[in-house]
Amino acid sequence: MTEYCGYMGRVLFVDLTKRTFSDFPWTDKDRERTLGGKIMAGDILLHHIRPGMKAFDEDNWLVVTTGPLTGCGCPNTSRFNISTISPLTNIVTSSNCGGDFGLALKRAGYDAVVFGGKSEEPVTVHIDSDGAVFESAEELWGLTTSEAQEKLSGYPGRLVIGPAGENKVLYACVFSNERTAGRGGVGAVFGDKKLKAVTAVGTKLPKLANEKKLKDLNKKWTKLLQTHPLTGRQLPKLGTAGLVAPMQAHSILATENFSAGRFDGFEKVSGEELAENHLVSNGACTTCVIRCARRVMVDGKNVKGPELETLGLLGPNILNDDIEKILKWNYELDELGMDAISCAGSIAFAMDLAKHGVHDFGVHFGETDNISKMFEDIAYRRGEGNELADGSKRMSEKFGGKDYAIHAKGMELAAYEPRHAVGQGLGYATANRGGCHLNAGYLVVVEGLGLDVNSLTPHGKAALGIMFQNLMEAVSAGGSCMFTSYAVLPGFLIGKPNMLLTKIVLGAFPYVGPVVNLLSHFTKVPQINIPLLPHTSAVKYATGMRCNMAKYLTWGAYGYNCERIANIILGQKAGADKLPKRLTEELQDPSDPRTKVPLEQMKKVYYRARGWKDGIPTWHRLKTLGFDIDRSVYDAAVAAAAKTE
Amino acid sequence: MAKVIVKLFGVYRVDTHISDVEIEAEKLSDLLEELGRLAVGEHKSSISFSDASVFINGRNCKKKKQKLNDGDEVWLLSPASGG
Repeated sequence: MTEYCGYMGRVLFVDLTKRTFSDFPWTDKDRERTLGGKIMAGDILLHHIRPGMKAFDEDNWLVVTTGPLTGCGCPNTSRFNISTISPLTNIVTSSNCGGDFGLALKRAGYDAVVFGGKSEEPVTVHIDSDGAVFESAEELWGLTTSEAQEKLSGYPGRLVIGPAGENKVLYACVFSNERTAGRGGVGAVFGDKKLKAVTAVGTKLPKLANEKKLKDLNKKWTKLLQTHPLTGRQLPKLGTAGLVAPMQAHSILATENFSAGRFDGFEKVSGEELAENHLVSNGACTTCVIRCARRVMVDGKNVKGPELETLGLLGPNILNDDIEKILKWNYELDELGMDAISCAGSIAFAMDLAKHGVHDFGVHFGETDNISKMFEDIAYRRGEGNELADGSKRMSEKFGGKDYAIHAKGMELAAYEPRHAVGQGLGYATANRGGCHLNAGYLVVVEGLGLDVNSLTPHGKAALGIMFQNLMEAVSAGGSCMFTSYAVLPGFLIGKPNMLLTKIVLGAFPYVGPVVNLLSHFTKVPQINIPLLPHTSAVKYATGMRCNMAKYLTWGAYGYNCERIANIILGQKAGADKLPKRLTEELQDPSDPRTKVPLEQMKKVYYRARGWKDGIPTWHRLKTLGFDIDRSVYDAAVAAAAKTE
Repeated sequence: MAKVIVKLFGVYRVDTHISDVEIEAEKLSDLLEELGRLAVGEHKSSISFSDASVFINGRNCKKKKQKLNDGDEVWLLSPASGG
């Protein structure tokens, strides 16, 4: 139970081995420490894991969490999170999703559900206010993600996996409606536990601490999002696909397995092409007022259209300029239940291995006829597809090509080529879950896409990266879509890039590092709420908890350090924050020595500002942030991390 | 006067229904003015080409007085974000 509003006050624990359920202990002190979402999940895992635990161990937990704002009427807050040990990276992954399951879970009366153990037979778990009911999933096993959800159409909240999850493809994902918890292979852990589906149903609603003030705030928040140049214009009109052209202009459009940043045929796979010739209508997650999702027709069906990542990584990155094929592939990947980023990255790497004469997997740059077959081979682990199902890192360990296996900590990079956005490169390397653009801090938004900060200078990037990483961590934990954090960038900086004031502010960005670092380190200083970040006031009005900018930064810092120390306990080594040599040693533009990621230089500043040594939080830093882990566990993990692999 | 190819991207393109157009202009500022005259569509009044991010032959250009040459390719982009 909880004294706070916003939360439902219960966390459900489901034991898949024993087919039992119970209440998981979670107190208001825990809520004050973690807020919710991915930080709550990271904290639960931190206190459960032991050194060397692996994704497919029976005692690995799947932690599905919501945020306090989920279900409170705020815009863009239907998000929920799934965290577990990733089979792709062997460290903690967190995967965020905008489907209906989070709202339904809260209506069933829970803030989170934790799955432990492992079922022997395929199982569906039905959750309601009385707990969990276990039902055989034999009839669902083998179905695609839409087919399985169709069979469960009577339930308002559904989570399912497709064939890729059942076959433990290391980057299989979990679906709720058409939205995906995509990254890190959470679907493979579902599959390993024989957990085909989860449903949630209920009629409960969270109480609100100050309903009137929250309602007034939500009106202003909605207006802010709908009038901001990014969330009110670009995203609704072009979706994330609208990034293709700016990425081309700024030389950050990953091309031919990240060997270049521009692609001659980019216009044919751009957001403009999608909007003008293929868009049927906009789509949206529940509660969303931005509506960036695309609806397109594939084989006569009205289906979800591709995001930027799919367009980029199955377009320029494999030298394909046929958007019709990408629309179809996007649908096929969704049906099979695979992460488009890691799958496309593994295919591009396979193509590069063939180009280098190392091994021929049957896929080649510029050839598109056999991609659909390769998807099936991966999802069902047939032939060469079985190799690609394990991702780029394992492929490189088996076949070679480590210098151009484009991953960080085993997770394939998103479509942003970081040699022309070096801060994004630092983010990729330091992100806790691996090569994820959002967990990286998404600095690319200020390095050319949204703002025009010098993208090739390392100066200030560590400080800004930490600030963005922490802020997005807390925004996600509250239950908000991370796109809502873009509105924190003042509209005039984005809408008036050629104004003198904008030029002065952006010119100063690389030099504000020391000040930003102070804020990131002394997170309790900014005891204010700012209009461009309504999340803090929303948490206060929804929950009754004291909340301001300082609290958000403190939660963010706690969350980022929480996943990091959990990763160290799981076996992550010092020096794991790295990128393939193609990005750190090869120049993108041979005539410009700045066009590679100066990672080591930026990392030194980053670690110092984080209070980390060789990528490991110091004991002092953890204590300052309020961690309560055992000193002997910490010392043993740090000693193990120092040993080279 | 230089004859240049202008390509619009992002909200500029969606709002004006212009994907590419050939324009004669001496300087970038002249080109942006001419584009304003050519723009059609319901959002015409809210479009400000002077706020665009400009690339000439693949290079970012911040000088409004930049002289143009025959055959130049000028891109106008709007700010973008996503994930």
